[in-house]
Order: sequence, then structure tokens, then C-alpha cells
Amino acid sequence: MTSLFSQIVAVVKMTIAGLPSRFWASITTIVSIALVVATLLAFLAMATGFARTVAGTGQPDIAMIIGTGSGAEINSGFSAEAARLLEEAPGIKRGADGKPMVSPEVYVVVDAMRKVGGSPSNISLRGVTSGAMAMREGFHITEGRMFEPGTNELMVGVGVLREFTGFELNREITFGASKWKVVGAFEVPGTVFDSEIWADLPVVQTLFNRGNAIQSMRARLERPGDLEGINTLVKNDPRLRVDIQTERDYFANEAEALQVLVIFGWVLAGTLALGALAGALNTMYAAVEARTKELATLRAIGFGGIPAFFGAMTESIVLAAAGGLLGGLVAYLIFNGVSASTLGGNFTQVVFKFTLGPQQLLAGLSMALVLGVIGGFFPALRAARTPLLKIGAE
Amino acid sequence: MKDIALSLAGLGRKKLRTGLLVFAVFIAFLIYAVLAAFSSALTAAAGSSSGDRLTVSNKINFTQSLPLAYVNRVSTIEGVRDLSYSMWFGGYFQEQRNFLIAFAVEPESYTRIYKEYVAPPEQVKAFIENRDSVMVGRAVADRFGWKLGQQIPLSSNIWTRNDGTNVYPVIVRAIFDGATAQTSTDLLFIPYEYFDEARAFANDQIGNIHVVTPGSEQNDRIINEIDTLFANSRAETRTTTEEAFNAAFVDQQGNIGLILLGVMGAAFVTILLIVGNAMAGAIRERTGEIAVMKTVGFTSSRIAGIVIGETLLIALIGGLLGVAISWFLISFARSFGQFFGAMALTPGIILSALGLMVLLGILTGAIPAWNAMRVNVITAFRRI
Repeated sequence: MTSLFSQIVAVVKMTIAGLPSRFWASITTIVSIALVVATLLAFLAMATGFARTVAGTGQPDIAMIIGTGSGAEINSGFSAEAARLLEEAPGIKRGADGKPMVSPEVYVVVDAMRKVGGSPSNISLRGVTSGAMAMREGFHITEGRMFEPGTNELMVGVGVLREFTGFELNREITFGASKWKVVGAFEVPGTVFDSEIWADLPVVQTLFNRGNAIQSMRARLERPGDLEGINTLVKNDPRLRVDIQTERDYFANEAEALQVLVIFGWVLAGTLALGALAGALNTMYAAVEARTKELATLRAIGFGGIPAFFGAMTESIVLAAAGGLLGGLVAYLIFNGVSASTLGGNFTQVVFKFTLGPQQLLAGLSMALVLGVIGGFFPALRAARTPLLKIGAE
Repeated sequence: MKDIALSLAGLGRKKLRTGLLVFAVFIAFLIYAVLAAFSSALTAAAGSSSGDRLTVSNKINFTQSLPLAYVNRVSTIEGVRDLSYSMWFGGYFQEQRNFLIAFAVEPESYTRIYKEYVAPPEQVKAFIENRDSVMVGRAVADRFGWKLGQQIPLSSNIWTRNDGTNVYPVIVRAIFDGATAQTSTDLLFIPYEYFDEARAFANDQIGNIHVVTPGSEQNDRIINEIDTLFANSRAETRTTTEEAFNAAFVDQQGNIGLILLGVMGAAFVTILLIVGNAMAGAIRERTGEIAVMKTVGFTSSRIAGIVIGETLLIALIGGLLGVAISWFLISFARSFGQFFGAMALTPGIILSALGLMVLLGILTGAIPAWNAMRVNVITAFRRI
């Protein structure tokens, strides 16, 4: 047993030492596997980044109230009277001033020009009151100041500033017939609110002909997830035609939107991997063939087939692992942290960052290793069966 | 002729290697054709477009509405040959997840302008003449199993009715097909009047006006006149060609085109490396043989031709197989309906694939052919 082990060690050492002599073939295998892994990671990075931003937005201790059957803020609408009734619902936390902590909001879609490409994209302009900031954990002004209530002033999320042009500080902006001024920039780290523009609720209602209707209301709950008080109120009052869920549940549904990318990424990378596998098999067969004489010589001096098998397997796995690491590194350097934006569930742009965590990198490396094992197995079998008589081979 | 036979003989020498290379090329072109069809469906999903059609929307954003009265005012502009209008319905069937691409349209003018939605004349007539009707795309009808004459409770996630409900009962009066394979039929239309009378708010508001012009050379002037007409009004307009409107809509998804291009690029670089490397190895093995061929009078360029012939054959066999199999895959994807229904293997995709096969064949053969040309007879024989 010890002799078998030392035989394996000897052959593996020989194989690794021989790698430079098959330099270009080895590079081909490494690069092709690296490309497969990078392709997979590009899709995973996009899906992960989007899901983190959207899912990270929802809080369990905030009730999200929208019109019945609307599904999303953009389609929703209910009256100011309904909002006033809802404010008094049991279970809603009260602030230091004794008033319920709620945030009635309207949601208008406006155009913004992308920095890259320059086509108009949908951006959400949210009309808010002072209550809105208390609903967003981590809200802070990064530049300038808050808008003055009652004026045509705006503040812009940092994500909007990153991806779109025309919203720089002190800029005058026209939405249709109404004129606005940018007075500040804000951030709610890692949430979709960074992709929004905020202004004073009554001003937005007036300038966009919304009357006194609102589109959504957020309310801080006394106990996280406990919607019973509000639900009971709504059930007993036919004037209240609204759907209630926690903000976390609301955004959890939306976060699913790009999960199809994960499937897409695996199918594409998997198909591409079949092509790379054909290449890897080819390279390994050629490598075994080139070493026929060497392998036969080993047989002649008493080595068995098993060390030869391990030698070839090791070569294949080492190359695949190198490819996997290279692909992971390249994908990390290129994609991680890249800012991008796409349409979210509210039909407006969500700005997010490509994210590659350990879990995604591990998935890429595992794929590379699977390719290494399959790509090495059959050539290794052939190596193990090299007949002694081939010692005279060219 | 003899050279082709020699190329074939070269391929037959190591069947396993040739098979693996053909397979690698096959994968590359399978990915190429399916992604190209996907990309064309993406464009089609935004809606059909024609060079002589313009879209008028609210300048703030296309989801904001316009007054219905604008339609008459636009129709007075010189050169406007025909026009219609539509509004996003926010439709779904029974449950929110059965999302529908549904518009309320003025039926007579809309069906007159959008000739790419093809239905039997008597069905179109029934759609126009009845209030509570719906004209359904084949993809939608197939997905839900809707038949002509069937009543459908169409729900809207935006437009609450006067009675407080969100359901608009309509009868399937027409089922339309696309004029070409790329025309998406994953949408449906209901008459604007029926919709506008029933909804509780935003009455007499529309989403877009669709204008037919005499041709693309007059588009700029007409666009300008429409937008000038409504400048400084409460609802200013932005008029674009239908193509530009749809392209901007696709762009909203982010740079999907760029991502697809990246994946195709990765696939081709991978295959290029694999085939090029394997062929270089194959030629190295044959150094002695090439020396013999040169001795008996084969010119260097003829030998290079034979080598490139081999890689061309690999590229063409693998590539054509890939495109052929992609046809089955695309047909399979089409059967899912919805967005995938507009996927199609167009002549353009096949032609560009053929071009890429030739390019791949030449590129992968170039270095091995160059090596073969440089084989020096004397040194080669000395090795033997």
C-alpha cells in the first residue's frame, strides 16, 4: 500500500513537472475553463446584486398599505380620507409627539437620461412628508440640504446621480410644465430608495394633478410583523379598499424578478462548459498520448496502472482549478461593485451593484472542478491501460 | 477536388479528436443562434414598428397621460395620414401573476393602422362593432385556452371601476396572428370607449397617440409640429418614431444586448482557442509527412490550403449542426408562448452564422497552415 502511494506521488510529481512542456495546450484548457466560469459569475453577480438591493429595502416593522389589487405602488391609489382613517389604526407606533408614525406618499414616473447610451429611462419621483425619513433606516443627506416643504425643491438619491445625468446639485429641472430645483442628495444605503427623487408631497400632488389622492402609506408597527390591528380596522370599514403587508414581504416578491437570470446563467454556462469540456478532453488525450513512451517505461520498471491514472487526473484537475481561480479572479475584478440599473417591479429603474460573494465564487470554482474531473477521467483511463509494448513508441 | 479529399483524410486520421472539435464548434453556434433569436425577440417584445409611424407621449414620461382632445388637434397637422390612440390597461387574468400586456384602443383606427396583427375580417368587424369585446393575440389565447365567443373577466391593477370593482367582463371577438414570425402576439386589445365609461377616474385621458405619416422623410417635420403645438400647455408632448420609442423601451432593461454580446464573445474565443490549439498540434505531428508532400511537388500554398480546408470543414460541419439543432430548440422555446413566442431563426441570423463559420475556419487554420508552409524538407527528414 505504501509502495502504491509512493508510486502515485512519484507519477503526480512527474506530471506536474512536465506541464511546462505542454505549455500552450495547458493554457488553452485554463483559459477556456476561466471563460466558462466568468460567464456564470457575470449572471450570478447581477442577480445577487439586484436581489440584495431590493430585498434589503424591506423592513419587517413597517406596514405597507396600497390600493386593493394594485400589486405595486405605481398602480395604487386611495383617498386622503382613507389615509386619515388608517392612521388611527391600532398597532401603529406613536412618535415622541404622540402622533402615529406614518408616511403617506405619491409616486410619479419621470424621465431621466442614462449616462451610458443616453436613452430616456423611468425614474420614480416620490412625494413625501417629514414622516418619510423616519420610515427609512439609515437615511442621511450626502450633499446640500433637505427640500423646503411647500416649494418646488427636490433631493436626489445617490444611485440616480451615479447612473443618470441632469440631476446635479443646483440644477433646474423641468417635468412637463413644472419647474424644479435640486437642493440636495440623499442616501439610504443598499436600498431602492437610492434610485429615487424625493420632493414635498402637497407640491407633487398639485403639480402632477393628483388632487389629494395618495398612492401608498407606510406605518411603523408597534410589534414587527403584527398587522392584526390594521387588518381588523380595514375589514370592518368598507370605505377602506386597501391591501396590507409588511414592507419586507412587499419587496421580497419584487426581489424574485431577476432570479430567472440565475437559471439563464447556469444554462448558458453549462452549455458553454460542454464545449470547453470537449477541448479539455482533447488536450488531455493529446497529453496522455505524448507521454505514451514515458508511461510504458513506468510499466516496464514495475509501476501499476493506478499511479498512471492519478497522474493524468491530477493534471486535469490542476489545470481546471487554475482555470476556475483565474475565471473567478477576472470576474471579481471586472464585475464586483459595478453599478447598473434595470427596471424593477414598479416599472422604474432600480440602481444596484453587481455583487460576487464567497457563495457565488465557490459555485464557479465547483463548476471548474467538475469539468476537471470529467475531462481527466477518460484520458486517465487510457493512461492506466497503456500497454507495456508501447515502450518503443515514437 | 483532390485537395478536399486530402483535407478529409486529415480529419479521418484521428476520429476522436475531430469529433471533439466538431462538438466544440457545434456548441458555439448553438449558443450563437439561440442568443441571436432571443435578442431579436427582445426587440419584438417592445411592440411592432414601422418607419412611417410615430408615437406621441407625455413629455414627462410615457406612463403619464394625455388629454383625449389632443387626437383631433394632431389630426389637423398637414401630412398626418391616419391616427389612433391607446392606453395601458394594467391587465391580469384571475391572479396578479397572470400578467397581461393589454391596451384600451380605439378599435376601428387601431386595426386599420396595425396591419401586422392579422385576424379574419369578420372577426375584426365584430371586435369594432361590439362594446364589451376583446381582440386577443394567438400567444395569449393559447396560454389560457381562450376561444372565440368566450366571456373573459379581465382585471386591471390600475383602473378601478365606478362600482368599486376591478373586473371588466369582455367577450373574445377576434384572435389575431402576427404578419411575420417576429411579430409578438402576446398582447390584447379592448375598446377604449367601453373602458373609459367604466373606469372611476382619469376619464378622457389617453396614453399614446399613434400617427401614420407619408414616409420617413417627413417624420422630422411632423414630429416638430406636434411637439410645438402642445408646447407650454399643461401636458407637453414628446413625439418619436415608433422604432425609437420601442428601442428606448428595450433599453430600460439595461444593457442586455451588451451582456448577450459578451456571452457570445466568450463562447467564440473559447472555441477559437480549442480548435486552433488542437489543429496546431495535429500539424506538428505531421511534419514528416508534409516534408514528403513537398518533396513530391506540393507547393507551400497548396499545403496551407489543405490545412485551412480541414479547419473550414470542422467549422462548417459543427456550425451547420449547431444552427440546425438551434432551430429545434427555438421551436421548443416558442411553444412556451409569451415573450418566447417571438423568437425566430431569421435569414439574417443564418447568414451571419455562415460568415462566422468561415471566419472561424480561417482563423483557427491560420497558424497551423503557416507552420506547415514553413516546414523545411531537409530538417524534417533529418529528424526521421
